[in-house]
Amino acid sequence: MKKPGSSLILNYNISTTIAFIAIVVFFIIFTPNHLFIDIRNLVSIGTLMPDLGIVALGIGMLMICGEFDLSIPSLIPLCSYVFAILLMKGINPALALVILLPLGAVLGFINGIIVVKTGLPSFIITLSTMMFWKGVIFSLSHMAPISITKYINPHPYFEKMLIGTIGKLPIQTIWFVGVAIILGLLLHFNKFGNWIFATGSNKEAARAMGINTNMVKTTCYIIIGILCVFAGTMQSVRLGSFNATQGIGFEMKAIAAVVVGGISLRGGIGNMLNIFLGILIIKVLENGLILMRAPVFGIDAFIGLALVLFAIINNFIQRRLA
Amino acid sequence: MEYLLEVKNLTKRFGGLVAVNKVSMEIKEGEVVGLLGDNGAGKSTLIKMISGVHRPDEGQIFFKGKEVKIDSTRKALSIGIETLYQDLSLAENLNVYSNIFLGREKLKKILKFINVLDHDYMHKESKKVLDRLEIEIPSLRNRIRVLSGGQRQAVAISRSIYWDAKLLIMDEPTAALGVAEQKKVLELVLKLKSQGIGIIIISHQLYDVFSVADRLVIMRRGEKVGERNIKETNPDEVVSLIVGAEKVKQ
Repeated sequence: MKKPGSSLILNYNISTTIAFIAIVVFFIIFTPNHLFIDIRNLVSIGTLMPDLGIVALGIGMLMICGEFDLSIPSLIPLCSYVFAILLMKGINPALALVILLPLGAVLGFINGIIVVKTGLPSFIITLSTMMFWKGVIFSLSHMAPISITKYINPHPYFEKMLIGTIGKLPIQTIWFVGVAIILGLLLHFNKFGNWIFATGSNKEAARAMGINTNMVKTTCYIIIGILCVFAGTMQSVRLGSFNATQGIGFEMKAIAAVVVGGISLRGGIGNMLNIFLGILIIKVLENGLILMRAPVFGIDAFIGLALVLFAIINNFIQRRLA
Repeated sequence: MEYLLEVKNLTKRFGGLVAVNKVSMEIKEGEVVGLLGDNGAGKSTLIKMISGVHRPDEGQIFFKGKEVKIDSTRKALSIGIETLYQDLSLAENLNVYSNIFLGREKLKKILKFINVLDHDYMHKESKKVLDRLEIEIPSLRNRIRVLSGGQRQAVAISRSIYWDAKLLIMDEPTAALGVAEQKKVLELVLKLKSQGIGIIIISHQLYDVFSVADRLVIMRRGEKVGERNIKETNPDEVVSLIVGAEKVKQ
């Protein structure tokens, strides 16, 4: 399937792969009792990572077309809240999820349409929508968690579908990989992917060739909205409740993961495989450091250091290419 | 003889500013027209109305004798009006053939229902058109960013030829090019002319325009101030028209 010349190959950035392997080897060797490679630890990574990972994949695609989305830590609990409300109304959880998908799409669409119509930096626009929806969700829920266990329990298949396991393999991991593959196909093998690269690389050129760049950007926001529904539902089913602080800090972690994945903040450069690895790196770093008894609340310091290092390396590589 | 493109009394206003005021011009097949004027004379606005970026407030556009409403860039492309913007027509991070097919990608079906990009086809077709125009590019799989300015311009030109341009609008095609590359681009213009394509060139470099154009249209402050056959004028006269030193002789 790989053909030289496709954007998958052209934008492939070997440094992410090397870094990933190096970090994994490091943790395998240096964690106490080689705990990192312990199957229980791997399962826990596979269970927890997709919460952030699924949304971050969409953020990566959006950043290739040159925009940001900071609103996800509000969209995720908002979707999760509506999910809980629907369950309380006695709606079947699978149906509730289906009802939520268009809601997520609309939330993404609102972000997108404001960004393209005002022409203002998406950083500001999505910062505003993040705060707006956060206020809405806090006041609607009074920040009180809503337990949904009793609504989910009668539907074991729904639970299995979102958070079950196959053997030891958490279903979340399969969803995460599945979303990565679908977005990867879209980005690298479909014409829409070409349009994303063209929009991020040279918007005027894309427009002159008849590409509706506003549509391209808005679609990316819509995809993120839908992914938020997915991540929010999955997380609340795993936690057994809606929680107003679900997804807190995800906006910056997603950007960090994507930058580690070698995506240029200026847009036009990127690769789904690298984004995927970038997310893994952030999560593996967190996990490995905790296993090595790094102070839990100080983990961000290490992530910050790693991020700066990656940004420098990527910048260096991109300059060499140019 | 029927004109390839004829515009009549095109007018465009931006708020209180009249960017283009009742400009008429025409171009035949295989003719090269130089569009000249100082910065802010309205050249770019005029061609943007022809290429579908702006919609005219007044006036008509005729293409091959028929009136057309060009309300989007897609519409302009579909009837065969291709525009090369100064530095703006290629996506740097896409490879050569992806740029040639940008916005009109060739797809193939895998598993009978999933559309994917047909890289082989796009590569082969791009190679054909580059060969036809005798343009040498080391590898079509390279990204545009590694190409020189002249090569980029050549890629942009071959894209319009591949998509069957009848009218090619070139905005400063030789700006930012080395001398040898400028010459190549101008040779390419003459080659296209011999194939019957109508070409409008905007340029500040009078020498370029004089070496390829058949006719000149000169604009100043949104209005057409003169039209000259290349054989019946000289750079001095043209410069004075551009800066407005000479009385208008329509």
